[in-house]
Amino acid sequence: MDKQLELLQGTLELLILKAVSLGPLHGYGILLRIQQISKDWLEIQQGSLYPALYRMEHQGWITSVWGESENNRKAKYYRLTLAGRRKLQMESKKWNRMADVIAGILGTTAEEV
Amino acid sequence: MKLFKRVRSWLRAVLRRAELEKEMDAELRFHVEAYADDLVRGGMPRQEAMRRARLEFGGMERAKEECREARGVNLVDNLAQDLRFGARMLRKNQVFTIVAVLTLALGIGATTAIFSVVDRILFRSLPYPHDEQLVSFGVKAPFEGIEFMLAPEYAVLRGQPGPFAAMTSLTPGGADCDITEQNPVRLNCALVESTFLATFGIRPIVGRDFTRDDQRPRAPRSAILSYGLWRSRFGSNPLVAGKILSLDGRSVEIVGVLPAEFEMPNLARADIILPQALDESALDRNHPQVLLRTFARLKPGITVAQAAAALGPWFQDSLRFVPPQFRAEVSLRVRPLRDRQIEDSRVGAWVLFGAVIAVLLLACTNVANLLLVRAAAGRREFAVRAALGASRGRLVRQALTESLLLGGVGGVAGLLVAYFLLRVFVAIAPEGIVRLQQASIDIRVLLFNLGVSLLSGILFGIAPALKRPTPESLAGKNAASASWGFFRHALVAGQIAGSVILLAGAALLLRTLWKIQSVPLGFAGREVITAQIPLPEHRYPDTARQLTFLQEVEERLNRVPGVALLALSDTLPPSGSSQATFFASIEISGRPRAAQGTGGMVGWRMVTPNYFPALGISIERGRGFTEEDRVPAANPVILSKALAAKLFPGEEALGKSLRFSAFDRQGPWRTIVGIADDVKNNGLTASADPEFYIPWKNDPETYARTSYVILRTPISAATVIPWVRAEIASLDSTVPVGFSTMNQRVEKLTQRPRFDAILLALFAGMGVLLAALGIYGVVSFLVVQRTQEFGIRMALGAVPRNILRMVLGDVARWTVAGAMAGLLGAWFGARLLASLLFEVRSHDPLLLGLAVMVLLAAAFLSAWIPARRAMRVDPMIALRYE
Repeated sequence: MDKQLELLQGTLELLILKAVSLGPLHGYGILLRIQQISKDWLEIQQGSLYPALYRMEHQGWITSVWGESENNRKAKYYRLTLAGRRKLQMESKKWNRMADVIAGILGTTAEEV
Repeated sequence: MKLFKRVRSWLRAVLRRAELEKEMDAELRFHVEAYADDLVRGGMPRQEAMRRARLEFGGMERAKEECREARGVNLVDNLAQDLRFGARMLRKNQVFTIVAVLTLALGIGATTAIFSVVDRILFRSLPYPHDEQLVSFGVKAPFEGIEFMLAPEYAVLRGQPGPFAAMTSLTPGGADCDITEQNPVRLNCALVESTFLATFGIRPIVGRDFTRDDQRPRAPRSAILSYGLWRSRFGSNPLVAGKILSLDGRSVEIVGVLPAEFEMPNLARADIILPQALDESALDRNHPQVLLRTFARLKPGITVAQAAAALGPWFQDSLRFVPPQFRAEVSLRVRPLRDRQIEDSRVGAWVLFGAVIAVLLLACTNVANLLLVRAAAGRREFAVRAALGASRGRLVRQALTESLLLGGVGGVAGLLVAYFLLRVFVAIAPEGIVRLQQASIDIRVLLFNLGVSLLSGILFGIAPALKRPTPESLAGKNAASASWGFFRHALVAGQIAGSVILLAGAALLLRTLWKIQSVPLGFAGREVITAQIPLPEHRYPDTARQLTFLQEVEERLNRVPGVALLALSDTLPPSGSSQATFFASIEISGRPRAAQGTGGMVGWRMVTPNYFPALGISIERGRGFTEEDRVPAANPVILSKALAAKLFPGEEALGKSLRFSAFDRQGPWRTIVGIADDVKNNGLTASADPEFYIPWKNDPETYARTSYVILRTPISAATVIPWVRAEIASLDSTVPVGFSTMNQRVEKLTQRPRFDAILLALFAGMGVLLAALGIYGVVSFLVVQRTQEFGIRMALGAVPRNILRMVLGDVARWTVAGAMAGLLGAWFGARLLASLLFEVRSHDPLLLGLAVMVLLAAAFLSAWIPARRAMRVDPMIALRYE
């Protein structure tokens, strides 16, 4: 396995929103889902996941309920709220635009200037 | 919406902390265990898997702390922690805490007490809806201090309201009135126009308001009761409207009851208000007799100045009816109701409030200084905490929490101080300070107290809190950082400046008081007792009966043992309540009348022959009155020296004749028989008006509503007064006689300046004490800090005197700088006092110099004590110090 990419500042929340948008998940599940989708390319500090979750819940983007995990243990499940969905759309758009712009800049050749 | 959710989440986090804390534990544990489970499934031994899972999770406690932070729980947690810590610090440094709390309690307490007094004068809204729209308006003339209108002029104006949404009037003076049925009592009645309550926005709580019909001249009389009278006499009977009351022997119908918080706009006492019925003769423009106080409510959006401008044309028109020689001295005046009510209380109120704020600032400065000293000592601890990762914001917050706590404790203690101070103020205050009797510690004052406490907490806490811990302080070196030394010194200099200003103000007022008390009165008040005899009009309806009664009183009192001299007069010096006329209205036989101006006011009194010897007023030339002067046909007059000089400059006045006329009544020709010495007759501070005396004759035509009996007796007042009271009571026990000695009457006039002077002196004293404490604290601290340095200096050959000079020289620089700044402040500030001063210049160099000298002496003394300690430093010990 090649070296993992370090997470860019501010992208953790976007990833969490995306992960939760696919269905309710507990914290560990979110971690696994992100790693799974990113094919293990992204490294997430496990300790930093929860403060982010708490902050997002405080902002009202996600909400949580206690439920049963796959192996019958009590776990806290997070799901997207309406505000969270809007936030996800907005952030995705912003991210894509940013990526395009950056790609455009990086793709510039000497003749084009 | 979003905000609401966030607040709810935050509240939940704060209130259900234990639960959430448990949930957080469970959630994080689940994470670690689930990961460990996965690792076990991958073939790792259980124990190793747990270890690995925990390791990869990272700092569990840090994560938790960050989670709490994310929810905002920390804010509250930290506050609680800071409070606990602050309380512990305060308990640990008991001496510091006691000194700081006492200082603050004095400062905050005095401020709160003064605020509770001046709030009602300066800030609190008057008890009328939209009180800012209410104005008092009218004509200002030399013979009347307060604006008024003549009834016919008012009637004209009422037809064209102009800038006013509503206007109303009342009859000045408010009259005594008696309930003349079972349980007779004397009350205060006020006569008002029927629009009175409506204009002020007051509705009766029972019954109805007056209507236009109520004030028709011959309408059945109606009355509205005050809340107090309704409660005390009618037991708050809700069906009181319609009852008939016998007032001064006439039946009046009660139509309503005023609300409890009602007060008259002229602050007069009123138990009953009655409609003022003005008949046609009162409204005759050519013979105006009735004077009214007039008030109005401005139309919304109209300012006082605009209203005055709008009334201009009407005023010009009304001048036509003023005798031409007076026109120049008559002016139009429109002013807010509050200004009319507080009159001369405003300057005094601001001065006291300013002074007490200065004291509070001095107190805060002192506590700030104490905190700085303590912070210097606790610098090492702060540095340790900073090194252990406490953020700077957290440290500042913690320090501020502590000072706020201190401020809070000081505020509570200050409330106690305020409670007692307020009682003292009310007890020693003279009459005539507006609304002082109402002053109390209510919710507004409590809020002010809280605000002041918190504000001072921030004020004195901010400087020490912002002190940045340096790496050197970690080493515990006692190196005083120069910048903070400067700051502390500047604080002390500020204190000195503030105290100089306070002291200068107090000195000016005390000097004024002294001047007032040594004003030559022109009469001898010792051994003189006065009795005021107001004759109730319903018992003595005509002057003949009044005269009989007074003659009887005169005769009987002459027989009272110990009465050496007895006189009657209609008014008494030195208060400004004599009757008065215009100088221009005096006509001298064989000389044309002055055509221009009023010439100012001339007072006059009606007196019996013994008036002059009883009051010790010397007759300079000619003679005093005799019993022969009291026959109806005699018309002598005695002039005061000032009046004689004004009427007959360089001539002999004796033997000349003159007459004077009040309004349009021409008096008889009077012969000048004597010249009396000048007497203070306008209060103690105002310049005396010239005056003249006419004899109180045995003639029903000489009429005085109130009369004074003047008794000169070598026996003590406490003994004589009961005898006199009994004599008068045996004639008519219903006459309320008011006794006072002449000295008491004079003293009453010095009460107000004495009150101002005492309070300011008190505050100045507090200021000096605080400044002295401040200097003492700073110098003590410096001496301790520089002990080592002194030791070295002495080891190298410095003698104690050098050290002393060094320390004192340092203090002197700052003290002198502060004193100079204070002198500058006093120079400008004293101008504000000008209207409170009497025969003292606000820039009196002697007094200003004295204030500075007192402060320098206090500063030197308070620096001397710790400085001496520096002198006695033992080099051996000092070098081992630390």
